Amino acid sequence: MQGDAPSDPIAQLYVRHHGWLRQLLRRRLGCTETAADLAQDAFVRLLARPREFDSSEGARAYLSTVARGLCVDFWRRREIEQAWLTVLEEQPEPVAPSPEQHAIVMETLCQVDAMLRRLPENVARAFLMSQMQGLRYRQIAEKLQVSERMVKKYMARAMLQCALVEAEFHDGYR
Amino acid sequence: MTDTGERRSEPDFRSLEQAAEWFAILNDDSVSVTEREAWQNWLHASPLHRRAWGYVETVGRRFGRLREEDPAGRSVRTLDTVRGQRLSRRQAIKNLALLAGAAGLGWVGWQRTPLPEIARRWRADYRTAVGEVRQELLADGTRLWLNTNSAVNVDYDSDQRRLTLVAGEVLVATAHDPRARPLRVFTEDGAMQALGTRFTVRRTDGHTDLAVSEGAVRVSPLSGVPPVRVAAGEGTRFTADQVAPPRPADPAGEAWSQGLLLADERPLDELVAELSRYRHGHLGVDPEIADLNVMGAYPLQDTDRALAMLERALPVTVRRILPWWVTVSVRRL
Repeated sequence: MQGDAPSDPIAQLYVRHHGWLRQLLRRRLGCTETAADLAQDAFVRLLARPREFDSSEGARAYLSTVARGLCVDFWRRREIEQAWLTVLEEQPEPVAPSPEQHAIVMETLCQVDAMLRRLPENVARAFLMSQMQGLRYRQIAEKLQVSERMVKKYMARAMLQCALVEAEFHDGYR
Repeated sequence: MTDTGERRSEPDFRSLEQAAEWFAILNDDSVSVTEREAWQNWLHASPLHRRAWGYVETVGRRFGRLREEDPAGRSVRTLDTVRGQRLSRRQAIKNLALLAGAAGLGWVGWQRTPLPEIARRWRADYRTAVGEVRQELLADGTRLWLNTNSAVNVDYDSDQRRLTLVAGEVLVATAHDPRARPLRVFTEDGAMQALGTRFTVRRTDGHTDLAVSEGAVRVSPLSGVPPVRVAAGEGTRFTADQVAPPRPADPAGEAWSQGLLLADERPLDELVAELSRYRHGHLGVDPEIADLNVMGAYPLQDTDRALAMLERALPVTVRRILPWWVTVSVRRL
C-alpha cells in the first residue's frame, strides 16, 4: 500500500479520522484504552451502516456525534456496573459468578435500563415489580397507591417504550 | 426537516401500541376468557400485529432471562440504585432552582436537557418558559422576540453588541446604532453578524438554523471555515464545522412571534413536532398519517385548541392516553 490512499471509502475515513477521533475521546474520557475502544466502536458502527460524507468536516461532525453517544452509553454502563458491584458486596453469592455470567447480566441490565430509563418513576417501578418480582396488579396498585386501572395503563405505557427500544435494537434504525 | 425515509423502516407504531395494550391486559391474572379470545382475533387479523407482538414477547424474554440469571433479585436492586442516584441528582437540581427562585422550567424540559445547558438557561438575561413567546426591547432599540423555552444573553460594550442564544429560538430586528457597533448573535456553532436586518436564529439538535427576512447576515462558524453571507429571503443551517448553502426560507417562519403557527401544505408530523415545542409531555403522530398535508393558522398559546382544530380539519383523532401522553392518530369510522 505504499502511500496509496485505500480505495474503500470507510478505510479512507479510518485513515483520515481515526487518530483525531481517538484524541477527542481521550480528552473526554481521560483514559487512553477506553478511548481506543470507543473509537473502534464508532467505526464498527459505520461499517455496519455505511454512509457517505460530502466533506471531511461532515465526516468529523458525524463521528463526533456517534462518539458522544458512545461516551454516554459508556458512563451509563459504568454507573450500572458500580451499582451492581455494591449490591453484590451487600448480598454476596455463595459461589462467585463466572465472567460469562457477569457479562450476560451486565448486558441485560444495560438493555433493560435503556428501556426503562425514559419512563416516569411510577411507570418503571410498576413494570419492574410485575416483570422482575412477579407481583399482581392489585399488589402493585397498593404499593404505588394508585388504582388497578392505572397500573394497567402504566404497564401498557412501559411495554410500548420497551418494544420501541427492542425494535430499535432489532432493526437498527435510529 | 425530518427524515421520513428513515422513519418508514420503523415498525408500525399503531400495532406496537395495540400490542402493548394487549400485553397489559393479558399480563394480569384477572384476564377473562373473552379477553383472551379477543386477543387471539387481533393477533390473527394482520401480520403487522404478529410482528408487533413478537417484539412484546422478546421484551418479556429479556426480563425472564434476567430473572433466571439472577434469582436473588440483585438486578432489581441495582436498577433501583441507579434510578435512585439519577433521581437524587435531578432533585438536587430542582432544589437549586427553588433556592435561586427560578421557576418556569418544567419537569419534562429538564429531563431531556443536559445539566450544563440547564444551568446556563437559568443564568440567562432573558428567558421564556415552555409555551411562552415574549418580546423584549433592548437599550439600543433592537427588538427581540423569544420563542418557547428559549434563553438569550445580552452583552453590549463599547466595541460590539453581542447576543448569545443559549437555547431555543429568537427573532432579532436590529436598530441602527449611533456608535456603529456591530451586532452579532452567537450560538454554540458560531457567530452571525447582522448587516442591517431582521432575522431568526434557532439552536436545536446540535446545529443552528438561520432565516433572514430583511437585510443580510454573515455566518462565521466556530471552526474558522470561511464566512457565508445569507441574504433576505434565504436561510441556512450550520454547525461549528460547516455551513449549508443558503436556500429560500419559509416566509411563514417568523409567524410564531405573532403567536401563530402557519402551515401551507406542511406534513402533519412536522406541524405536530412544532406544536410539541409549546407544551409539556409527549405529543406524537401515527406514522400512517405523518405525511398528511396541513393548511391553516394555529394558535401557539393554546395548543389544545390547535389540536382540536386539526381534528376538525383532518381525518384524525387526538387520543389522550395519559395526561402527558397525547397521540394524533387516524380517525376510524
